[in-house]
Amino acid sequence: MSRRANSIIPSSIIIVGGGASGVVMAAHLLKSANPDLRVTLIEKRPHFGQGIAYSTLLSAHVLNVSAAGMSAYADDPGNFWRWLQGRGLVDPEQTPQTPFYAPRSLYARYLGELLDDLEAREQPTGRLRLIHEESLAITPTASGVEVALANGTSVVAHLAILATGHDEQPAQGHAIRMGSEADTALDPESRVMVLGTGLSMVDAFLALEQRGHTGEIVAVSRRGLLPSPHRKGNPIKLDVADIPLGTQLSYFVGWFRDLIRENQKAGIDWRDVVDGLRPFNQKIWQNWPASAKRRFVEHTKAWWDIHRHRMAPEVYAKVTQAVQSGRIRLVAGRVVGITPGEAFSVDIQSRHSQLVETFDVARIYDCSGIVRDISTSSNSVVRSLVDRGLARPDPMRIGLDVSANCEIIAGDGTVSRKILAVGPLTRGTFFEIDAIPDIRVQCARLSKQLLG
Amino acid sequence: MLTKKGKYGLKALIHLAHMPAGQLAFVNDIATGNNIPKKFLDAILGELRNAGFVQSRKGKDGGYRLARPADEIKVGHVVRVLDGPLAPIPCASRTQYQRCEDCNEATCQVRHLMLEVRQAIAEVLDQRSLAEMRDIGLDDLARDIDDRPLAVKVQA
Repeated sequence: MSRRANSIIPSSIIIVGGGASGVVMAAHLLKSANPDLRVTLIEKRPHFGQGIAYSTLLSAHVLNVSAAGMSAYADDPGNFWRWLQGRGLVDPEQTPQTPFYAPRSLYARYLGELLDDLEAREQPTGRLRLIHEESLAITPTASGVEVALANGTSVVAHLAILATGHDEQPAQGHAIRMGSEADTALDPESRVMVLGTGLSMVDAFLALEQRGHTGEIVAVSRRGLLPSPHRKGNPIKLDVADIPLGTQLSYFVGWFRDLIRENQKAGIDWRDVVDGLRPFNQKIWQNWPASAKRRFVEHTKAWWDIHRHRMAPEVYAKVTQAVQSGRIRLVAGRVVGITPGEAFSVDIQSRHSQLVETFDVARIYDCSGIVRDISTSSNSVVRSLVDRGLARPDPMRIGLDVSANCEIIAGDGTVSRKILAVGPLTRGTFFEIDAIPDIRVQCARLSKQLLG
Repeated sequence: MLTKKGKYGLKALIHLAHMPAGQLAFVNDIATGNNIPKKFLDAILGELRNAGFVQSRKGKDGGYRLARPADEIKVGHVVRVLDGPLAPIPCASRTQYQRCEDCNEATCQVRHLMLEVRQAIAEVLDQRSLAEMRDIGLDDLARDIDDRPLAVKVQA
């Protein structure tokens, strides 16, 4: 059968968002040899490859994944490691197997240089174009898509890939985001509150520490759980034939607990079991009935997260020491009232005793890190797609509804052939798609799907 | 290998998939209709309920029904719950691994091929839903007659 004119391989692609996932997407597309390929990468921030996760300049903010897992390329896991080595940023004795948690600012530099190299390489071919501007809206046209920019112009292409990353939702109520404009100078001895006890809280603690803040930090979350530390190990080998798919959540959790117990009896660390499951996480998620997904997000995710999303051992040591010395106070409970004044008076109801305790704090930082509802996204492109019915939130409303091929799904259920999405926006379908090891695999697959 | 337990479980689920949506089936009807020992069937349905594939109601009008639409339940998912990890031979399983006493794994070609068979089993069973299995037509079943062992065919 001959190829019809309307089934040509799309050769011009706009990537909306030039943070980590946008750069990784562009890098995978440009591996194609197609001379007609045109990749346009649009980013509103002054630098490409930074996004929310990697724009921090603090040296204490290190990656939560060891260097060997952070290559931008799915088929070249040593890429980041060689970059570090080439610049003398790791000890010559260190091997890629040695755990090494690089500062995140260094990772931003890696992605920036990777893009610079691609730009230089593609200069003569014209296959890569970078635009520093905010995208406002994507509109499907007869022949492709049009992306409207904040400067009043627009760019067109055959299709667009959304890579807008984590949502920068404004902080809730009286709380503020760390590092935002509202985060003004603070009496270093004052007591502050952090909403959340996860990895973002740890980042906030490290930032306060580096600023010379010495006051008490009251960290509050529903369960008050702290993430676990990494430990060098070897993930156990599992096969899809072993894993119960499509069951109720309680059945799966029972199976997984038994698996951990059996392995621990054989002297294997639980981390190796949790990490052994990683290649199947998306499959497990996708096969769960909606009720299991909902139950997982509501009840199990907090426990899963502290075991699955761990921190560098050095950081963990610092945090636990701060907890022991009373510098950080972990509270399991919920905020039931805030009275603003000179300082904030915050009422917390304990999860266990149900008693209400009042804390006077100078500032409240929002580190809860939860996507509240994607349809209220602060990103204009995402919001306008939802408002016009071109996209819809996934059933959990933690991202956009996308097909297994990353195509966005419209309000009426139509699968778009022109607008796709990668990264955290697709977590309703792909579950764990926040970290580079998962995003790079998604980008490699999408690139193959689009360009062959 | 599919055990008798796995086979009975799938037969019972096909029975339930034939019921009008929401209607309960009596355990006795499932047992007699499919030639399954009643006590064994009770145990099987109990496991399927724990895994979330069927729901039950107790009492005089009690019985079982599918917990989800038949096109959302994959055959492979049911088999794992009833028979454990999919594997054609115990030495080709990771979590239910059992060493063969009588051979050396490092040189065993049989095991090597059976690992590939394991993948194939998962691929077939995880693609097919209960609804697809229920709707296998009589034409397909008639064609299967050719697949019967030779001895049986000769007798027929």
